[in-house]
Amino acid sequence: MYDKTVRRRRALLALLVVLSLILLTAYFGEAAGGGLHSVQRGFLTVLSPIQDGANKALKPVRDAFSWISDTVHAKSEHKQLVGQVDKLRRELIADQTERAAYHELLALYHLDHQLSINDYHPVTATVVAKSPNIWYSTVTIDKGEAAGVRINDPVVNDEGLVGKVTQIASDGAQVSLITDSTVGVSARLGATAATGILQPKVGEPNDLLLQYLPASAQANKGDYVVTSGTVSSGDDSLYPPGIPIGQVTSVNEESAYRSVNVHPLADLHNLDVVQVLTAAQNSAPARVANVTANLPPGQLATQGTAGSGTLAFAGPGK
Amino acid sequence: MSSVWEGRARGARPPGILGPSFTAGLALRIAVLSLILVFFQEGVVSEVPLFGVSVDLTPLLVAFVGLICGSTLGAVTGFAVGLLVDLALVQTLGITSLTFTLIGYWAGRLRELRDPQGALVPLVVGALASAAAMIGYSLVEFLLGVDAPVSLDLLRQIVLGVVVNTVVALPVWALVRRSLEGGLPDDPRRRRRRAYTTGGLSPLSRA
Repeated sequence: MYDKTVRRRRALLALLVVLSLILLTAYFGEAAGGGLHSVQRGFLTVLSPIQDGANKALKPVRDAFSWISDTVHAKSEHKQLVGQVDKLRRELIADQTERAAYHELLALYHLDHQLSINDYHPVTATVVAKSPNIWYSTVTIDKGEAAGVRINDPVVNDEGLVGKVTQIASDGAQVSLITDSTVGVSARLGATAATGILQPKVGEPNDLLLQYLPASAQANKGDYVVTSGTVSSGDDSLYPPGIPIGQVTSVNEESAYRSVNVHPLADLHNLDVVQVLTAAQNSAPARVANVTANLPPGQLATQGTAGSGTLAFAGPGK
Repeated sequence: MSSVWEGRARGARPPGILGPSFTAGLALRIAVLSLILVFFQEGVVSEVPLFGVSVDLTPLLVAFVGLICGSTLGAVTGFAVGLLVDLALVQTLGITSLTFTLIGYWAGRLRELRDPQGALVPLVVGALASAAAMIGYSLVEFLLGVDAPVSLDLLRQIVLGVVVNTVVALPVWALVRRSLEGGLPDDPRRRRRRAYTTGGLSPLSRA
């Protein structure tokens, strides 16, 4: 009797382990349109409304925790922000002058129809779930295909770039954050024209690394990093130019290229509401995305070529 | 080696494949508790960082179910909760199921072989389960070729994750035990312990 029970127990354990390994192997080996992925998307479709409801019901609890955390940090943050406001006011005055000159030059050279964030149709979505482990930097949102969201659509919030859509269901979508190891963003140092590829810092999931900057690029601590509006591969997302991503925390001296460490501006731990920048059919962003998807690899903006290969949309009929 | 059902009364129904603790009521309680905790984890807990990391209630839930209900129910719960987490978070299917199955089984075997009774047992089991979940997860990710070498920061994240999970282990233990207690059949060893502590009489008869 005892032996039989032990055998049964071990057989059950072996069965569950083998089942897990089969799932793991099958899922890892199949394409994004495969059966297990479809089951997962179906589950996401069913789950999204429930998650949305649970998210709304549990919002007061989450707010209470956030309130405690915010209160603890409020005093030091206030002091820091007062200093920052003074600095930003000075910068704003200088920038306004430069901006006026910039717009005059754009108009002069007929470059005033570049693709901008206003060309997209932002879809506001609520974050309903978030991966808790340190390996996946993903969140689930409550808007999907039905709302016009597509794979690779950029996702932003009021602070800056958040990530891009990587999985889609009819009423929900998975967003890979910019700290996810699968995401790379073509980015520009705000103060210069130097562009590079921004990726999560290996082994440090909360920090980013802007790589392949020209060795001559001037970078200082505190400089802002923004999207460049270029893509580095055909299946990449075309982020509109100028979306703030982060601030430089330190500069690494390397031989051929320079790289800088970047801290994201968006508080990726406390995402509540985000906007998906969708491209409606035949809209300017959709046309540009089609162009980039169909270009041969050699004609895409390449890593480390500062200022070159930028795909600026010239507007219809121009 | 002792087992949970060694002391069962003669003529009692033999245990099924899920062990002597299994009843339909208990299964329902585990299923409801797992669903609630997974949703609570995703909707609230994972959005509240503590020292830069988030508490993960799911390995604690699996370990405590194993500790209360035994190895087979622990393993089955681990598999089901892992699958739910992988499906809900659109992760690679099977990773969490694999690690949680082993955690649930281990916690159940700990109970069946040692039956630890100390007040700090949930704390230690919670810490070990959390460490096993994070390290196991990392190992599988490495095997799958994720580009993230071992670094001090990764180690720090794992250690901090274990610490914050340990902090919440006792309340989670209390919740799981309270939720499952009513669905458990009368354990003979619990009966023996009660008999020992009350001198063979029930507390009511002593009054």
